[in-house]
Amino acid sequence: MKKKLAALCLLSLALVTIFTGCSKSKDNTDNTKGEKAKIRFASWDVAEDVDRQQALVDKFNAAHEDIEVTLEAYGRDFDTKISAGMGSGDAPDVMYMWNYPAYFEGLEPLDGYIEKEGESYKSNFYETLWNYNAINDQIYGIPIGFTTHALFYNKDIFAEAGVAEPTADWTWEDLKAAAKTITEKTSAVGFTFQMKPDPYDFEMYLWSNDTAFCDKDGKLDGNLNSEKSQEVFQMFQEMEKEGYALASEKSGTDEFRSGAVAMYVYGSWAISSLKEDNLNYGVATIPAFANAGKDSVSILSSSGISMSKDSKNKDAAWEFIKFWTNEEANKERIGLELPVLNSVVESEKIMEQPEFAPFYVMLEQSKGYTPASFIIKEWSEISENLSLSFEEIFNPSVLQNPSDVLNNAVQQ
Amino acid sequence: MKRKKFIRKATPYFFITPWIIGFLVFTIGPLILSLGMSFFDWPLTSEPVFRGFGNYIEMFTKDAQFWKSLKISLKYAAIFVPLNMGIALFLAMLITQPIKGVKIFRTIFYIPAVISGVAVSIIWGWILNGDYGALNYLLSLIGIEGPRWLVDPAWALFAVIFASAFGVGTMMLIFYTNIKSIPITVFEAASLDGASPARQFFSITLPIITPTILFNLITSIIGSFQQVTLVMLLTGGGPLKSTYFYGLYTYNNAFKHHKLGYASANAWVMFIIILILTALVFKSSSTWVFYEAEAKKENKKRRGGNK
Repeated sequence: MKKKLAALCLLSLALVTIFTGCSKSKDNTDNTKGEKAKIRFASWDVAEDVDRQQALVDKFNAAHEDIEVTLEAYGRDFDTKISAGMGSGDAPDVMYMWNYPAYFEGLEPLDGYIEKEGESYKSNFYETLWNYNAINDQIYGIPIGFTTHALFYNKDIFAEAGVAEPTADWTWEDLKAAAKTITEKTSAVGFTFQMKPDPYDFEMYLWSNDTAFCDKDGKLDGNLNSEKSQEVFQMFQEMEKEGYALASEKSGTDEFRSGAVAMYVYGSWAISSLKEDNLNYGVATIPAFANAGKDSVSILSSSGISMSKDSKNKDAAWEFIKFWTNEEANKERIGLELPVLNSVVESEKIMEQPEFAPFYVMLEQSKGYTPASFIIKEWSEISENLSLSFEEIFNPSVLQNPSDVLNNAVQQ
Repeated sequence: MKRKKFIRKATPYFFITPWIIGFLVFTIGPLILSLGMSFFDWPLTSEPVFRGFGNYIEMFTKDAQFWKSLKISLKYAAIFVPLNMGIALFLAMLITQPIKGVKIFRTIFYIPAVISGVAVSIIWGWILNGDYGALNYLLSLIGIEGPRWLVDPAWALFAVIFASAFGVGTMMLIFYTNIKSIPITVFEAASLDGASPARQFFSITLPIITPTILFNLITSIIGSFQQVTLVMLLTGGGPLKSTYFYGLYTYNNAFKHHKLGYASANAWVMFIIILILTALVFKSSSTWVFYEAEAKKENKKRRGGNK
């Protein structure tokens, strides 16, 4: 029952090295016989989603006599397995990818391939997405799906409290006022946010208030602890202190689904479960900061598809990537992911669906921002420290002073 | 003739080769390799660089989290091991009582041990939830306002300890089989002499099962240092890193921060700590563990001396 750490760590760490030896001997045998080009494709999806992907892969295999793609569904272990695979030179040829800063050194730059497809290939993707699939101006992945964040609200609770529903030009002041009224008049709490937000996600609020975690050289001091940044943290903490916002132990979805809170900010992931519940909910863009004088900005959680730089069949791999990112595949994945192609969004009339449109509005508003994780080299450690700092500000059993915490965080 | 002899001698080894190979490739091999890795700066995507004892020096001198995590793990072990053994022994005593339906209880007590760690964490995540969890609801019935177990840093470690004590069944079973093997005649003789049940427990049961206690003590010390599933899924090391166990620290260094060499060094330090603790327990065991065979030998010697 207890996972044996020795087994887990020692074993997998060292297996990596053992397999390095194995993979090297394989080099000469593959590939030379004029057989089918074998492509391994790693996905992080689980359950029914994998079945749908397998159907798509089968379709590709049927149409290509000279290529055979095998789907490897890594699920929850995706990162661990990709790490181990890259460490041993045995990474899958094609893989889903999101954490480019950590893995880009093991990936094939795709700019050359994209150029060959012509300008219209690239411009059909939403522009904002490329920034999230590139490192140092080099593209390492073709966008597959994305979500921005948006404000979910419970229409029934709003009606019960007699408060007007959120609109596109709401500011945080409007949200606070609504949350206050709702908390007073109904049994629900007005708003919830994460007690332990992922720093990657939280940076969007700083962007919306015209600041960021760091400058373009990755320096935190003067940015993370700037006045504007402190303002953001103070605002959230005050809402919590005054009792009309709840700091959620998880994402806030559970509280929202059960009707315990009236509003929360989250990605489009929540939609399928909210639909299942038949919850009477609406989606709006994230409120803006009144003093910032601009629309709110959202972080993108984006997924792409990448090629391993060690792949032996790069042309076949690219052929498959193209198939996986074409219009038909985008349409197949609707419901699983928000489509990334302008033409698909148009032909499927997605902008006319009120629960999806705000995510695209947020996407348009979020052009030109680069998350700190793409700038700071040691992001995974910095992120862990930031996460702890944010928790110190939002955990109800401590609620430390934001400016102290942030100044401290900068020193680390 | 000679060949026949060789084959006869070698046959058993042929049969165990698969396990020997498995042991060499999957246990000893990785063990040695990870020792080697611990002397390298071993990132994931680029080439490893040798840095001697650099990882170990960094760990002991620069990394505050190392000491914090070590302290948390020691604290956890110090509370969890005795508690777990106490509960296991208590339950084992209960299920050895000649009561009707004892088999049902035996099953009930053992069932949690067969549930996977992931499921246990999810179940306890619900039970311990501060706002709508079952535990705080039950506490509210007797007028106690429960803490927010997984949010308050002061309580989170205890929450993890409760949740781990859930898997007490295996240890209980080991105690149980040992207690069951004690000849009933010993107890009968004792009760004829007027020993109370408590007296019987302390003077007969406990001394006889000391070898089993030793075994359980060592395995649970090792287990508690290796605890990682539960904290990873139940608390994620939080709140405020109050349950950032050493195991989780090592795991995160390897698979989150991709510092494979450093994590190997972490793992080896833990290995050495466990080794020392186990050695200490073994050393002390001569004073409190009672082996029947030894006692008989001593008796014989004594008799010999009396002559």
